Amino acid sequence: MITKQLVDQIEGEASIYFDIKDEMVDFATISFPHFRGMESILKGKNALDALVITPRVCGICGHAHLMASVRAIENAYKNAGHKINLNQKIESIREFTLLMEMVQNHLKWIYLTIIPELQKLHPTDRNSKPLKGAFGASLAAKAIATFAGQWPHSSYMIPGGITCDPTNIDVLKAQSYLDELISFFEKESLGISIDDFLAFESCKDFEKMNSDISYLESELIKNDMTHKGHSYDRFIVLGEHSFTKVSKLNQTKAMGADVKYVSESEAYSPNEKTYAINALYKNNFYEAGPLSRCMALSMPIVKNMHRRYKDSAYSRVMARVFELAYLLKKSQSLLKKIDISQSSFVSPENIKNITAEGVGVVEAPRGPLIHKIRINEGIIQEYKIITPTQFNIGSSTQSNPTPAQKAMSGVSIQNALFIFRTFDVCSVCTTH
Amino acid sequence: MPSNQDKKPTLVWFQGLTCNGNTHSFLNHPNLEQLLSKFEIFHHPSLRSTKSFNDITSCEIPCDIFIFEGTYDPLMKRNGILLEKIVNHYAKNAKHIIAAGSCASFGGMFKASAPERNSGLIFNEESSFGPLLKHKEKVINLSGCPIHPEWLGYTLGMIVAKREIEVDELHRPIELYSNLAHHGCTRNEYFEWKVDASDFGEKEGCLYYKQGCRAPMTHASCNKILWNEVNSKTRVGTPCFGCTEPDFPRQNLFSTKTNMSIPVDVPLGISKRSYLTLTGIAKTFKIDRLEGKLIDYKTTR
Repeated sequence: MITKQLVDQIEGEASIYFDIKDEMVDFATISFPHFRGMESILKGKNALDALVITPRVCGICGHAHLMASVRAIENAYKNAGHKINLNQKIESIREFTLLMEMVQNHLKWIYLTIIPELQKLHPTDRNSKPLKGAFGASLAAKAIATFAGQWPHSSYMIPGGITCDPTNIDVLKAQSYLDELISFFEKESLGISIDDFLAFESCKDFEKMNSDISYLESELIKNDMTHKGHSYDRFIVLGEHSFTKVSKLNQTKAMGADVKYVSESEAYSPNEKTYAINALYKNNFYEAGPLSRCMALSMPIVKNMHRRYKDSAYSRVMARVFELAYLLKKSQSLLKKIDISQSSFVSPENIKNITAEGVGVVEAPRGPLIHKIRINEGIIQEYKIITPTQFNIGSSTQSNPTPAQKAMSGVSIQNALFIFRTFDVCSVCTTH
Repeated sequence: MPSNQDKKPTLVWFQGLTCNGNTHSFLNHPNLEQLLSKFEIFHHPSLRSTKSFNDITSCEIPCDIFIFEGTYDPLMKRNGILLEKIVNHYAKNAKHIIAAGSCASFGGMFKASAPERNSGLIFNEESSFGPLLKHKEKVINLSGCPIHPEWLGYTLGMIVAKREIEVDELHRPIELYSNLAHHGCTRNEYFEWKVDASDFGEKEGCLYYKQGCRAPMTHASCNKILWNEVNSKTRVGTPCFGCTEPDFPRQNLFSTKTNMSIPVDVPLGISKRSYLTLTGIAKTFKIDRLEGKLIDYKTTR
């Protein structure tokens, strides 16, 4: 019997069609019904206009799109024989604002999505205070705006650098927003210091805590999420950054990876039209996102969780919490690297003289985000976007399910709906 | 026991074709919790709501304030229900209708998804067009890509206070949109003396002459009510793209269209002749302080 469930309050809307056998999900297909045609909107435009258009793919990770665009255009410059060299200041500021966007995403996901959804599975009297997530996120957005002018929808990264020319006042201001955010996260979310949290050696250490995060952890255990939501136990990280490592992992075995092995396949959604397209690596499905990045880094506590619970819903959720803590620390070190005397921008060749193809890859909050551009005399001939949710969710056949489809099988519908959200679904990115 | 008069206004925030940018921008509002406490939220794309999405799309309950985000596509369905039906249901009963962002106001970015049919609620760019023309008196356009959280906060605050919101001919609140994005820009002195920014990545120089800045022609209070309470595009050297205007998105956004090295589009309300005269005079002066780096004390004397 097929049961349809509409999922809202993700970034956009999706429908899941569950095939139920013995009250458990035997198979599920997923449909993303809304399409905006971003790739065709970009066609025929000046290549630099992509820096304004692509952030509008997504309201929650538009900064990652901006960075993927600027990397794609800079890669085209390189392929046209005009390599652009970025100094440490430019790299650090770009990376800092990207991380702050990831931080705001994770905070909102914890407080506006995961904790309230867990409370639906297992109602308690606890006030989940969802607006805490929005408050923390707004501090991260202030830190971004210090360099990028605003968040969402900034366009301050341009080929050759960044548009801003910060002073020490700006750097100190960003530092104070970050410090405020860290102390908020320690006080309101963790109940302990980030350093102590990142020094956890095993899941037993949660017993020492009494906070939102330990509540989240214990609820995941109560709902048996340590034994549900398993996928392929294969992970992919493709964006080059200072905070993770490009790799593909089969369980814990890490190897190098290259974006050239990414391919796409039509989604299988027999009950409703979907605009999603599946993304694969070497023709296989891989899970993308925080769990993959933490595994690629061999983060000790995440590896410990993985040893016990593999790629369960528990590991997926808690890896994201650890990544959030880790990124906050990483952001502090990035700010320290900024030497304001370095230039913000090195003027590249006029875009009108560029005829080339380029690829830009970044790690967005949910995993690898790939932009491919083909430019003829500065004009976009073709633009292609592959988003993390295409790796994680898409929709495929029962014999070869996507990571999310695999993770949802064998559990009740209610559990499957929760597990679906552990991937942090972004419908707007999926269908762009 | 609360009387009927104490009842909070009910609010539905509904989305058409969108990136969710307005939703996320609003979550940055500095007094979000306090502001939200004044309403009963029937539906919001990411905040906890008192009605289910099925309740909302079944179009049976009315709301007092209807916020619409995204481009209106007459063929789009939410939860299998045509947007036309949903939008008309809430518009008919609501006392106030707010178009959140440029897509809902004028068609915006995603008008291009299907240009022959997509539009804002009562405008297709500048032309009167859209599903809610018969309710247009109730519609307030808060254009901007995305919406500025404090502009929406102001509008909701005025509604709660039962004060009248005066709007311009494009239905945008005059208090927010009579300013130009140029007002309060930290580069104003360079604009006065016609000193252009030699390139991106500098504090010095005006972005209007080469880098495509639309701030002198754009109705927006971005440099008065700062973004995220800290900054604006032009303050960080990014040109204003004119995202609050009906013609957003324009093309060639990082360069200024010029004729004989004078911008083709001159500041709002200034005749080309006056502008050329003033520019000619201003350019005859060479002011060392405006040619050098601000931080260099030798030139700031």
